[in-house]
Amino acid sequence: MSLPRVLLERLSVRHLRNLSHVDLEPARRVNVIGGNNGQGKTSLLEAVYLACTSKSFRTARPAELIQHGSDTGSARARLADYGDDDGPAPIAREQTVAVQGRRVQVRTDGNRPASLAEFATRSPVVAFHPDELTLSTGPAQGRRTLLDRLALFMQPTSGDHRARYQRSLRSRHVLLRRPSPDEAEILAFERLAAHHGAAITRARAAAATALIAELLPAFDRIAAPGLVLGACYAPGGTADPDEAIEQLARHRARDAHRPTASFGPHRDDLALTLDGHPVRAVASQGQHRALTLALKAAETASVASARGVEPMLLLDDVSSELDPDRTEALFTFLGLTRGQLFLTTTRRDLIVTPGVDAADRRDFEVQDGKLHAVR
Amino acid sequence: MLAAGSYRGSPRVGSSTAGLPEGLARVVQLLARLPGVGEKTAQRFALHLVTGDEETARELGRELATLPDRVRPCVRCGNVAETSRDEAEAAEGAVCAICRDGRRDPALICVVARVQDLIAIERSGAMRGRYFVLGRLLSPLEGVGADELPIDRLRSRVRDAQAPVTEVLVATPPSVDGEATALLVARELGTLGVKVTRIASGVPHGGDLEFADQVTLGRAIEGRKSFG
Ligand SMILES: [Zn+2]
Repeated sequence: MSLPRVLLERLSVRHLRNLSHVDLEPARRVNVIGGNNGQGKTSLLEAVYLACTSKSFRTARPAELIQHGSDTGSARARLADYGDDDGPAPIAREQTVAVQGRRVQVRTDGNRPASLAEFATRSPVVAFHPDELTLSTGPAQGRRTLLDRLALFMQPTSGDHRARYQRSLRSRHVLLRRPSPDEAEILAFERLAAHHGAAITRARAAAATALIAELLPAFDRIAAPGLVLGACYAPGGTADPDEAIEQLARHRARDAHRPTASFGPHRDDLALTLDGHPVRAVASQGQHRALTLALKAAETASVASARGVEPMLLLDDVSSELDPDRTEALFTFLGLTRGQLFLTTTRRDLIVTPGVDAADRRDFEVQDGKLHAVR
Repeated sequence: MLAAGSYRGSPRVGSSTAGLPEGLARVVQLLARLPGVGEKTAQRFALHLVTGDEETARELGRELATLPDRVRPCVRCGNVAETSRDEAEAAEGAVCAICRDGRRDPALICVVARVQDLIAIERSGAMRGRYFVLGRLLSPLEGVGADELPIDRLRSRVRDAQAPVTEVLVATPPSVDGEATALLVARELGTLGVKVTRIASGVPHGGDLEFADQVTLGRAIEGRKSFG
């Protein structure tokens, strides 16, 4: 039995980036958003992502989202979870995210959700944008973030643990740098860092297990045959809080002179190997891309099974993927997903979707912050 | 958690008070020192007082002028307390209604960060002991260190031979700074042979006690646990 899919039925954007007033009525399967660079295509995907998660995939500073000259920006989405059969239409919900200054206010059907995690996992969405092309070989931060997005679906408190871990660790660092730090004070924050750090380690380990189970088969389908991919969670901390307390206490002197602690889940990675060697050292450009696409396919599949709903998929700027060698990998990737798709491109004409009903595809053009339906 | 805006330096002169009569500008600057009041709001309040509501302005002035003499922090717990009319009593400092209430269990003390939290817990009706207000939370990131917490006063309160304390319930908010403060208080009191407990985590994470509903708060107090 296949999972229901979350569908965006309507989106209203007000004063976000260069989008003053945009209303989008998407198709149920494929939505192609064309336009030249700088016109607002990515901002439209960002608005979808914002309405579903309360976050941007481009910036951690909400104030950047507000259009110049406005004090509030907002995205309002009408969403529903559709099953495959022709049963009664599901009841739609309205998710609203308003940004004012540095504050972000979220509502589901006009009500405050119990938690931000509940809001952010209600309508699952996976975004794939050009910054993530380095997901397989770039800094570990990208892979940690991927695990954290998945962990939020499997363990909703994990986001809270991360915020608390960071604050505890920063507090400890400030204390360590004082000329004569108070031992009892440092210990208090180390105990908190150890507690929240251990919770992160457990959540990421579970997320990695779920992700890797999807990653290996996805890579086999996307990459050239014969390559053996290896993947494992490489923790920088421990799931045992007592051990973490000991480690933090032991490295105080050294940590005081470093930018951050030398032990803990902020040093985690998802270690990837090809034929037994670290991918960074051995993989070709094509293999990197295949691996990155496989990571995103695995994220999509594991979010789907954790949430029980097929996520929407946002692909930003797929133009770079459209030379013939790469197209095949991209379309294999898309074939692995079943969710509603939004993709932006400067070359709409190159997006061919032979398996998709004409009624299930809609094309749009974005020009100077205005959206036009073209097909 | 303490509101980020509650500690501001001297008011910025210029921008919004420029061009106002001097007396009015001073009132705007004073109002802007209050927590949660920006310069715009301060200006709105001040203009209202001079243009629309002379009587309130005079009455507010009279009340504020003597308020610090009539209401002070309680010398025992830090709650708000009315000063005594009796001169001898007043010289010893103000004692709040809760500390004077003989029906309260003297062996149980609830440690809170702010008077607002004390009021919220009182409203829940779940606390039968007395209180101790820290006034602030440990916060390296906001520059508040352990030496700025009244730990010594708390210790001597606990050791008071006339009213022995057997349990200290730490009800600081469940934020990182609130938890760290709770750990520090537990450690500091651990050597005194007193039982130290922590409110159950029924209060939402990162939430303010002030805003927790009374039922949740009552359950958090009844479900308190010993420090491990
Ligand atoms: Zn008192």
